[in-house]
Amino acid sequence: MIRTPVRAAALLAATLAMAAPAMAQTQVNVVGFGAGFVWADLFGPSGTEKTQKLLDFEKKEGITINMEFADEEVARQKVLLDLVNGTGNYDLVMLGSDGAVQTFSAAGYLEPLDGHLDSAKDYFDASKVYKPFLEANTVDGKLWALPYYSFGAGVVYRKDIFDKYGITEFPKTTEGLETALQTIKDGLAKDGVTDVYPLTMRGAPGEEPTLDLAGFVYAYAGYPAWFEGGADTPAAIKEKKAKPIFTGDFKPGFDTFVRWAKTFGPPGIATHTWVDMMNLYAQGKAVVLMPSAINAFAGIPGSNVPEVKEHSAFAPSPTGPSGKAVQSFWTFSIGVSNFSKDKDAAYKALAFMTSESAMNAFAEQIGWPYTTYPSIMHGPVLTAKWPKTMLDQIEASFTDADPHYFPYIPELTEFMNQVGTAASEAIAGTKTEDQALSDLQGWAEERMDRAGYYK
Amino acid sequence: MLDWRFWFVAPMVLALGIVVLFPSGYLVWMSLTHWLVTDPNVYFDGIGNFRVLFRSAEFSSAIGVTAIYLVASTAAMLAFSLGLALAFRSPRTPGALRSIVIMPLVIPPVVAGFTWRFLMNGEMGFIGAFLLPEIGIRTNMLADPTGAMISIVIADVWSRAPFMFLIFLAALQSIPRDYYEAIRLDGANRLQEFLHVTLPMIRPAIVVALLFRVIDALNTFELIYVMTKGGPGRATQTLSLFGWKTAFQNFDFGLAAALGVVMVVVTTVCASIVYRRFLRAPA
Repeated sequence: MIRTPVRAAALLAATLAMAAPAMAQTQVNVVGFGAGFVWADLFGPSGTEKTQKLLDFEKKEGITINMEFADEEVARQKVLLDLVNGTGNYDLVMLGSDGAVQTFSAAGYLEPLDGHLDSAKDYFDASKVYKPFLEANTVDGKLWALPYYSFGAGVVYRKDIFDKYGITEFPKTTEGLETALQTIKDGLAKDGVTDVYPLTMRGAPGEEPTLDLAGFVYAYAGYPAWFEGGADTPAAIKEKKAKPIFTGDFKPGFDTFVRWAKTFGPPGIATHTWVDMMNLYAQGKAVVLMPSAINAFAGIPGSNVPEVKEHSAFAPSPTGPSGKAVQSFWTFSIGVSNFSKDKDAAYKALAFMTSESAMNAFAEQIGWPYTTYPSIMHGPVLTAKWPKTMLDQIEASFTDADPHYFPYIPELTEFMNQVGTAASEAIAGTKTEDQALSDLQGWAEERMDRAGYYK
Repeated sequence: MLDWRFWFVAPMVLALGIVVLFPSGYLVWMSLTHWLVTDPNVYFDGIGNFRVLFRSAEFSSAIGVTAIYLVASTAAMLAFSLGLALAFRSPRTPGALRSIVIMPLVIPPVVAGFTWRFLMNGEMGFIGAFLLPEIGIRTNMLADPTGAMISIVIADVWSRAPFMFLIFLAALQSIPRDYYEAIRLDGANRLQEFLHVTLPMIRPAIVVALLFRVIDALNTFELIYVMTKGGPGRATQTLSLFGWKTAFQNFDFGLAAALGVVMVVVTTVCASIVYRRFLRAPA
């Protein structure tokens, strides 16, 4: 019989031998949200498995990807705390192109990716992706994150209701659309329909509505009218000492957004997020959803209203008085933490997770007519599901977009939050549009002053 | 030389120091620091954050909203839970009824928030879209500043009143029956019974419940966040929501910490007032 110490030593040796191959693997930790929605091809519908596709990658590259899914807010807080404390627990961090990329890159929390692009071209080839989605993640000339699911502006509307009220073609301008919305409103009222609203948008306090509202501002002013002269980078603002212009050129777009929300939107719009606009449209209670059309595509598949499924149509976002279209452009993107212990491995994992193959799997699973790769847009998965005309129009919403339709400054998240809350206040009627903008102007001047822009 | 008994308390003192004093000290240190993610320079800023905080219109608004929410929800909760406890205090009350009353207590505030948000929704909610219009109320509760505040107070009372109910029930059931028999012999009616026996006897329980409630109300976050996100506009943005926004949306950790310090002071002052006014033995 083998004595106990010898047996223990043998057990230890065997354990170490078994652990050796795993220890040779480089660990890449990722935090994100949307388990089962994003990367279901890698982590399965529960977000906790490892598919053969992922295992093959791990074996080939010697990289183990540890995915941690959390609720969206929790995930965002984990990212923030990890970056702020410089712990490097997460090698890959989820970001958004409407604040996180701008703020975290300026703070030095992210690794610029330009130098890595050639290292994993088999997985991610920047030349094969729609350029604006990369531009959206480019700050100060450097690329800080790669896009996963992303979208441009557009309108989804109920063609049957438009037809019923004699509007045969979707208006191309905001002026035309406002007239059409009024016609629909009058028609619905005349027919005694009280629970269907001409328009659904989002007006909840916080950063969310600003993505769409800023698109109205851009379409009305013709440029990102947040600072004097359209200054949209810290350098430009400092050089020109450009003051905020929320009571200036920002105003027409803001006023229109608020007026439309109040006049044509549902009564609860001042607290509505994308979930509410999606639900309203899916339940057949809204005629037009804009300008983040993707939220309608998210609701249509689960709708129990046949008319919503049969008569929904897509139209390009209308142009404002400036001749430029109302924008709504966003990318769910992922960056490499500057505190990652192995940035090369982290980038390789990132390239794999945003590759054409990953996005094709996303298109197969979710089926929305949005993708970051032209090859997928015109590929068999989406063309089998959507009319070519619609795909071409949605593609144009990417290629014609100006991703920098709001300023790319480190304080963007804060500004987004304040602007959205001001809109919510004006829609709810707790302040007039003028009061809301005047308060916003005062806050912005003090904030920029405090940040040292005008020294 | 230290008394040998010191060493028996030393571990607890150490544990308390780590768990309570260190985070508190860290919070105070952060509140005196200019620590903004958008600014790479982190430095000691004295009372700079407090100055910014007290000048902020958003802070003043949050103080007002918190005060309204605190008073309204506490008063409603007190009346509701005391009424329930009085109704259910008889030993003959079926246990199942009491279980139903305390059921919301086990529902997490986030779930409670979602439930009430959908119920109150003016376009599709059972209460907001069907029940209220039936009785002539056509206001969209969550989109109207007053309606939103009423909605979160209702949801909060529904969610947290069972805790107060349990405290009151225990206190009511501990009152000796002799007292009631004695006052009835003196010819007292129900109201006099309540005012001269019940209320004085459960006064300590009321104060304890109020203390918990004040602290809880000042820290309520999830329910409001889920139901209104502090809106419409800033109509329901309490201090705790403002603090969260400052830290996790505006990335201003110094300012958020200063707000934390102010909230600790406000909570302590409120709790002390309740304690001194109602519980401390007269000198």
